[in-house]
Amino acid sequence: MNLPAVRAIYFFELARSRRTLFQSIASPVLSTALYFIVFGSAIGSRMQPIDGVTYGAFIVPGLILLTVLTESISNASFGIYLPRFTGTIYEILSAPISAFEVILGFVGAAATKSVILGLIIFFTARLFVSFDLVHPLWALGFLVLISVAFALFGFILGLWADGFEKLQVIPLMVISPLTFLGGTFYSIDMLPPFWRNVALFNPIVYLVDGFRWAFYDIASVRPEISFGMTFAMLSVCVAIVAWAFKTGYRLRS
Amino acid sequence: MGSVLSIEKLTKTYDNGFAALKGVDLSIRRGEIFALLGPNGAGKTTLIGIVCGLVRLSSGKVVVDGVDIAENYRAARKKIGLVPQELSVNMFESVWESVSFSRGLFGKKADPAHVEKVLRDLSLWDKKDVNIRALSGGMKRRVLIAKALAHEPEILFLDEPTAGVDVELRRDMWEMVRHLRESGVTIILTTHYIEEAEDMADRIGVINRGEIILVEEKHALMRRLGQTRICVTLTEKMDHIPEGLFDRPLSLSPDGASLTFIRMGENDGKDDSLARLLKNLVARGIDFASVTSSQSSLEDIFIDLVGKSR
Repeated sequence: MNLPAVRAIYFFELARSRRTLFQSIASPVLSTALYFIVFGSAIGSRMQPIDGVTYGAFIVPGLILLTVLTESISNASFGIYLPRFTGTIYEILSAPISAFEVILGFVGAAATKSVILGLIIFFTARLFVSFDLVHPLWALGFLVLISVAFALFGFILGLWADGFEKLQVIPLMVISPLTFLGGTFYSIDMLPPFWRNVALFNPIVYLVDGFRWAFYDIASVRPEISFGMTFAMLSVCVAIVAWAFKTGYRLRS
Repeated sequence: MGSVLSIEKLTKTYDNGFAALKGVDLSIRRGEIFALLGPNGAGKTTLIGIVCGLVRLSSGKVVVDGVDIAENYRAARKKIGLVPQELSVNMFESVWESVSFSRGLFGKKADPAHVEKVLRDLSLWDKKDVNIRALSGGMKRRVLIAKALAHEPEILFLDEPTAGVDVELRRDMWEMVRHLRESGVTIILTTHYIEEAEDMADRIGVINRGEIILVEEKHALMRRLGQTRICVTLTEKMDHIPEGLFDRPLSLSPDGASLTFIRMGENDGKDDSLARLLKNLVARGIDFASVTSSQSSLEDIFIDLVGKSR
């Protein structure tokens, strides 16, 4: 294990976030605050509680995930795409470092940042609404697993992308819609039966539902299934990344 | 002198079917400066890429200081530093951060004293906190060298290190290369400036179309393939070369004002052909005004070699 290398990549990546502190922390916090003002306070005050949870509190887990998903993807994808774009990837490829260590550095840094961001949004939400946290350890477990899974997904995206617009397109056109449709702002039980069944094909439903279960002990899907789905997504990403490094995909000719 | 890098029957065929290397055998001696010459697309960068881990080999074997790169890439890569041809530098980091990062990446513990020494040797110390993208091209090149030296490699690859670099930096760089060699580092460089190879290298390899056409000691090469062109300017024009004037092919310039012959091999001070010619001229009462000689450079030899193998 080349620990100095993992450490070098990890802190190099975190340092990049520190330089863009405003962009990395302030803007997600600001947009979350806006969601709470508009949906939580203004609209939420006219909404019925869902399964005994006030609407403002109901959307908290989904809003945290909304940011965590997009930030995990964009950080990890940018982290690996930038050296490919500037050519500095040569150094990582010529270093005495395994694929696992490279991923540990890049994905670890991106996931760390997402977890921190998730916690910041959690405490920001506290300023606007009061809410429970029934299973704090499960909540943290979901948060970490989801951050890692989507950082891995972002890493794959960063390997695959051959232009900056592709880096933007996937989070914007695929992940954001799926998150919005994944029950961030509503319970999928509120959908007509047909659309409820369609929604079950959206993997993000399980993430949001499981995470919300950890907060309020209410769920549309059994939490074990949610946890299993989160784990399955993580495993698929690990398998793709392992394949990419084995074949040298977009890295070694 | 032991071999620090040995390459056997190395081939590389890219996915698009292009055969960049066709069975290369090469052995680099410990502590030497080896210059690899070849026209564009000859396979120089592919060869370096395979040894450094950027390109996967198709077949063959590469052993770095006794370690097969396929069996233990970690041990092999730790010994190697690479200065790439492209000016690929971090965009947002300072010189210090970038060079320290390189050291960590190669598994070495942080050593600010060593990084400082490398930066000072490359006259980068006063730029250590500058953002790399704000540096000039020559300075970026220095940063790349600093990054390659950050982990104290035993073998340094310099791929076209002086492309687009001003005279002063080139001089500094060769000074540094000599220093490194004195400290025991083996240096393998590719260059377009053949006079640099002529100045610096102990041995020269010529690669063309994926094959090594020649590997030889520089001096032996110059001796074997070098030529000296000797031209004698006459005080009075002649219309033909007198019979029996010289025992070697001699040519008269079209205006009849000078005689020229070519002496093969590097000038080793033992060839008396010029003296014999001059004595013969004096004996026949032919006066001459001046004698000039010009030695062929490595460049002429190189062009000749590559031209023949086409």
